[in-house]
Amino acid sequence: MSAAQTRRERRQGIGLAIPAMLVLAVFFVMPVVSLLLRSITEPEFGLQNYATLIATSTYAKVFWNTFMVASVVTVITIILGYPVAWMLSVLPGRWAAVVFAVILLSMWTNLLARTYAWMVLLQSTGVINRSLMALGIIDTPLPLINNLTGVTIGMVYIMLPFFILPLQATFRTIDPSTLQAASLCGAGRWQAFRRVLLPLSLTGVLSGGLIVFVMSLGYFVTPALLGGTSNMMLAEMIAQLVQSLLNWGLGGAAAFVLLVMTLALYAMQVRYFGAPGQEKS
Amino acid sequence: MLLNYDRMGGLQWVLVFITVLVSLFLILPVVFIIALSFGSSQWLVFPPPGWTLRWYQEFFADPRWMAAFWTSAKIAVLVMIFTTALALITSFALVRGRFRGREILRAAFLTPMILPVVVVAVALYAFFLKIGLNGTMTGFVVAHMVLALPFAIIPISAALAGFDKSTEDAAIVCGASPWEARLRITLPSIRHGLFAAMVFSFLISWDEVIIAIFMASPSLQTMPVRIWSSLRQDLSPVIAAASSLLILLTLVLMLLAALLRKKAN
Repeated sequence: MSAAQTRRERRQGIGLAIPAMLVLAVFFVMPVVSLLLRSITEPEFGLQNYATLIATSTYAKVFWNTFMVASVVTVITIILGYPVAWMLSVLPGRWAAVVFAVILLSMWTNLLARTYAWMVLLQSTGVINRSLMALGIIDTPLPLINNLTGVTIGMVYIMLPFFILPLQATFRTIDPSTLQAASLCGAGRWQAFRRVLLPLSLTGVLSGGLIVFVMSLGYFVTPALLGGTSNMMLAEMIAQLVQSLLNWGLGGAAAFVLLVMTLALYAMQVRYFGAPGQEKS
Repeated sequence: MLLNYDRMGGLQWVLVFITVLVSLFLILPVVFIIALSFGSSQWLVFPPPGWTLRWYQEFFADPRWMAAFWTSAKIAVLVMIFTTALALITSFALVRGRFRGREILRAAFLTPMILPVVVVAVALYAFFLKIGLNGTMTGFVVAHMVLALPFAIIPISAALAGFDKSTEDAAIVCGASPWEARLRITLPSIRHGLFAAMVFSFLISWDEVIIAIFMASPSLQTMPVRIWSSLRQDLSPVIAAASSLLILLTLVLMLLAALLRKKAN
């Protein structure tokens, strides 16, 4: 290949990327940067918006709620998702396909439709409370909605597929003969799990857990609908500051905090586990 | 042993039990919504005392729901066309290009996927207020394109990377022009990637709530916005009917994708 041709190809390659670069520069990078700039220029230049965020107890509570819910959701998702991902890699083909179909169908079902289902299921006259009362387990309906319990249930429901699918891919990369070797060397089931299977699947668990945590931090729809007005989370707070209170400075500051947390955790993800969506195999 | 289904012993039943529970947890709400949409109880009693099509009739008779439905469909189709086209040429650059900073550019193109949507929504809302794109079809389409682009770039560039370029070169050697070769050899070969990109970008726009809440005006609402505002008032069974229609569309698209993949193998 001649030098001229190489140069031409180089130019051609970049040329084709320019339209998308322009779209993202104008409609993504610029708006986000100017929102963040407003957080240090409105109402006047300085960091007072960030000071307000830290000092006001209402906002501190929102941050606390957000972290708490994201952590609890992550832990529950890992506990429920790990056995399913494990099973998916060993189940006979037909059954694995059924479980797969269930996970994909749930994941691709409209988010609002799923949240609506939980709003109906969890209300005080909903199926869950009615059945528990009919069975005589409780006398008065449990408060399952308009609080953080409802948010946690709804979020675990949304996050499970995002955890199970990548972890299942990790399980598939584990060579079953390593476990045979463990057993030949005299390891019992528990020992084989703790010293072979768990360490081999741990990267998948940590990477999936991190994805779930990051997604939960910035989640909007489910907390807004299942959490009620007194249990706000960060994303909803940002929306409200901007849309109802028109406080662009404070809203921008809260958005910046969320952005920095997300990018930091994402950088950690890429650094330790590789970019998501590019399965290491 | 632990990765052999037939030799797991008692552990097998524990794991099967959890898997069944989680699967039920995942599928029951979807079934529940569909059942409620045909149930005759205004108050969403379950199991329903009787069955009816009333909520679907109300949905199709309500001009506001119908307007929202068509608005959603129009926006999603436009997003699908523009996003797939843009992702296609971008993928050529990312896969075939040999320029400096290609990997950084690839990572940059995927960032809209990782940022919390609410940040993008608020930022675009501020920008569109300034340039008068709020509450317009253009505003909706552009905003959804930004979100959908990474999801279209990933399958197309994966398909393009898996395509052996020498086939294209062979066509050129045999007298095809470079563009003819791309159009008639390369595009058909990566059609599965293109199809996946189309499905993803359509569904992302069709299901998108957060940006839509900010972009919507009283006269221009998508289905999710309409569901969102109804949900804040009451839990009418018409919402269950509307949700079931959304689920049906997803099912049809997923089956179509599965069928095409099967045919390809």
